[in-house]
Amino acid sequence: MSTFSAIGEEREIDRDEYTPGVEPQPTWCPGCGDFSVLKALKQALPEVGRSPEETLLCTGIGCSGKLNSYLDTYGFHTIHGRSLPVARAAKLANPDLEVIAAGGDGDGYGIGGNHFIHTARENHDMTYIVFNNEIFGLTKGQTSPTSPKGHKSKTQPHGSAKEPLKPLSLSLNAGASYVARTAAVNPNQAKEILIEAIEHDGFAHVDFLTQCPTWNKDARQYVPYIDVNESDDYDFDKTDRVEAAEMMRTTEEALYDGEVLTGRFYVDDERISYGQEKQQIGEMPEEPLAERYWDDDYEWERSYDRFVDKHE
Amino acid sequence: MAADFNWAVGGEAGDGIDSTGKIFAQALSRSGRHVFTSKDFASRIRGGYTAYKVRTSVDKVQSVVDRLDVLIALTPRTIEENLEELHEGSVIIYDGERTTMQNVEIPEGMIGIDVPLKRLAEEAGGAIMRNVVALGAACEVAEFPIENLDSALEKRFGDKGQKLVDNNKEAARAGQSYVAEEYDADFEYDLETTDEDYVLLNGDEAIGMGAIAAGCRFYSGYPITPATDVMTYLTGRLERYGGHVVQAEDELSAINMALGAARGGARAMTATSGPGIDLMTETFGLVATSETPLVICNVMRSGPSTGMPTKQEQGDLNHMLYGGHGEVPRFVLTPTTVDECFWKTVEAFNLAEKYQLPVYLTADLSMAVTEQTFSPDTFDMDAVEVDRGFVVDDASVEEHLSESGGFQPHELTEDGVSPRAFPGTVDGAHMSTGLEHDEQGRRTEDTEMRVEQVDKRNRKVETATEREDWSPREFGEEDAENLVITWGSNEGALAEALDLLEADGIDIRVLSVPYVFPRPDLSDAIEAAERTIVVECNETGQFANLVERDALVRVDRINKYDGVRFKADELAHEIKATLETGTEATQ
Repeated sequence: MSTFSAIGEEREIDRDEYTPGVEPQPTWCPGCGDFSVLKALKQALPEVGRSPEETLLCTGIGCSGKLNSYLDTYGFHTIHGRSLPVARAAKLANPDLEVIAAGGDGDGYGIGGNHFIHTARENHDMTYIVFNNEIFGLTKGQTSPTSPKGHKSKTQPHGSAKEPLKPLSLSLNAGASYVARTAAVNPNQAKEILIEAIEHDGFAHVDFLTQCPTWNKDARQYVPYIDVNESDDYDFDKTDRVEAAEMMRTTEEALYDGEVLTGRFYVDDERISYGQEKQQIGEMPEEPLAERYWDDDYEWERSYDRFVDKHE
Repeated sequence: MAADFNWAVGGEAGDGIDSTGKIFAQALSRSGRHVFTSKDFASRIRGGYTAYKVRTSVDKVQSVVDRLDVLIALTPRTIEENLEELHEGSVIIYDGERTTMQNVEIPEGMIGIDVPLKRLAEEAGGAIMRNVVALGAACEVAEFPIENLDSALEKRFGDKGQKLVDNNKEAARAGQSYVAEEYDADFEYDLETTDEDYVLLNGDEAIGMGAIAAGCRFYSGYPITPATDVMTYLTGRLERYGGHVVQAEDELSAINMALGAARGGARAMTATSGPGIDLMTETFGLVATSETPLVICNVMRSGPSTGMPTKQEQGDLNHMLYGGHGEVPRFVLTPTTVDECFWKTVEAFNLAEKYQLPVYLTADLSMAVTEQTFSPDTFDMDAVEVDRGFVVDDASVEEHLSESGGFQPHELTEDGVSPRAFPGTVDGAHMSTGLEHDEQGRRTEDTEMRVEQVDKRNRKVETATEREDWSPREFGEEDAENLVITWGSNEGALAEALDLLEADGIDIRVLSVPYVFPRPDLSDAIEAAERTIVVECNETGQFANLVERDALVRVDRINKYDGVRFKADELAHEIKATLETGTEATQ
């Protein structure tokens, strides 16, 4: 049993526990897709049985970074683009925690892109939710890495010359073992996908389409959407890397033609997480790194000859 | 002080210089002799040259000197590079059968020992052992019992099989007998051995050892000269003590991972050098304002930009003191010797957790590459204390909740130190942010709370200044007219310069400062002295500027920024010259 009191506590968890006593009402713009992420998380967490006190939510900078203020768990609002290394290390320090990172498309696919690639590559056991609204919202509407080619903004007045980044394909190629896309307008699917992502043992990446009614008015509201796992129009095996890649490509191109495809695109339950792999090769102790600090009586084995190469 | 002996092996990069030098240093250490090593990485003339230098004595040695007694020269350039340090009677061991060494000229007055290194090595089992043949030859020249090489060879080659170890022992003896037979001379060296049992380690290793002793459980880093040895030391060791080492994708990730692990409840550290510090500065402010304990080790090298990656400099002090936007407290520790790297690492972890802020632990290239011998008592593990600071548990968490029931990680306290709750603690849930925040960690722009939080963070410095000992290390003549102040790795050279100056009838009081923020008040010492000189390895006198500001006086300065550390004799000369003429400040 963990020495951390909240971990492994057997009790009923009410979704109201995740609502903070102060500022219970989020201050996102009316109609913002971010509300749906918050709602889906509040539904998913009790369902997977993780209490606010055994959950750590790390966010980045942007409208999505306000999530910590509205979800009453342990939270760390980090700096722009850096939520992933903070989150994955907290998980390594105490694998008994439920660790979730969240941020926007600029935060995760732009400034934090390198961390995204490497966290996926290393398959850290955590969930990463990207609030993808294809725009920089908090700074009032500049072109983002997922904005479509030709997107006009104050920073790209003649239209973006850049191809949008393809987050699902990138994630798969980088090594994520669970890749899904959902949309704010689809609350039931969003909840189900978050439950799966949280329960997945490895890096679960959820590209969450969150409409921005204020700064991306000409963008789709991400309706109508199609669930590719249920639609008869699409037939692919989400455990097959090649088929998943094909489906992702289709999905990413379709989005810019006004067709919103969502669902689970890739699921690999076989691949072990970074932490498990490190344990197997003897580079990670079985006991959480943070565990022993609570034991005042612990006798530290300290002797210089254990540290330096002593000549015998 | 017993006579010291100065030895070096030099050649091209790829000649196995480093491992050859280390074997000899280990052999000396195991024979109960003190050792102080240094490395010449790159040429003063052109690239490719590298040398490993060993100074040894039965007494403690803590500096390099401008003298070389025995040199194993694998290339002609090795001799050229060391002409200033070689002296009349110096012995140069070389292989006259090596193509490039056939026409080598041994400078006048020096003794050339021509040993067919490659041929003897081949006879012993392989040309690759030619440096070991040279070591055997050096043992004979220095009258150093060759048995002492054996245990060092076993350590180096033991995991590759007994046969290889035996071949190497044979190669060493071949070199020894060759010199004994062909050069029947007394070289006037006699490396006596003692019964002492020394530990041989460098500054990076001492930091790694200190981290483990202090209960560090998480290290994340990105390879960079000259800090990489901290990581390689911890790799394979930290996990045996319940920890984990991560090689991150970049320094941004390295510091953010250390930060994440610290939030998760583990003592955490990252280590890097200047270019990495630049990147880490982005996250530094978050560490500080979220009041997360973190040890950031900066093993300084020559800058700016890529600078001279394998050269010495103490140029990052301003960056560590002031780096990052906005104003936020941090501590800056500057251990002055290799063994102090161990103790200051332990202290850095305790200070970080007691005051919940980032601590810069500062070493430099000179320390990082220096292998030095210490008595095991130097690292008395029973004296290591772990203080995790103000952490709440189930019972005490209730005392730190707000009226609305939220935990207060930034509670406004008298001493500025607030309670910490690790994730997983019942009733401790809270958020932290890089935004200005209230006591619960929630963002605020309230003018009063802003001021209260800034004051609270700075109050931790006031508290620490009062509660902790920030004294400088002092040696020399307490009542001397002349005061020399330094920080970081110059202490060893200064300590030996002191002896040389004393012999010239010059008394010096030395204050060696291991804390730059908070730092000791040196005003009284400066006032009591007639002359004050600040010695440091940078151009602008970053520490001297602080000293002048603190004491409201002008001081003399000795600055070195050519990429090479101070040597004891060179420093004695500089101090003497400065005392005679003064620098700009006092003229």
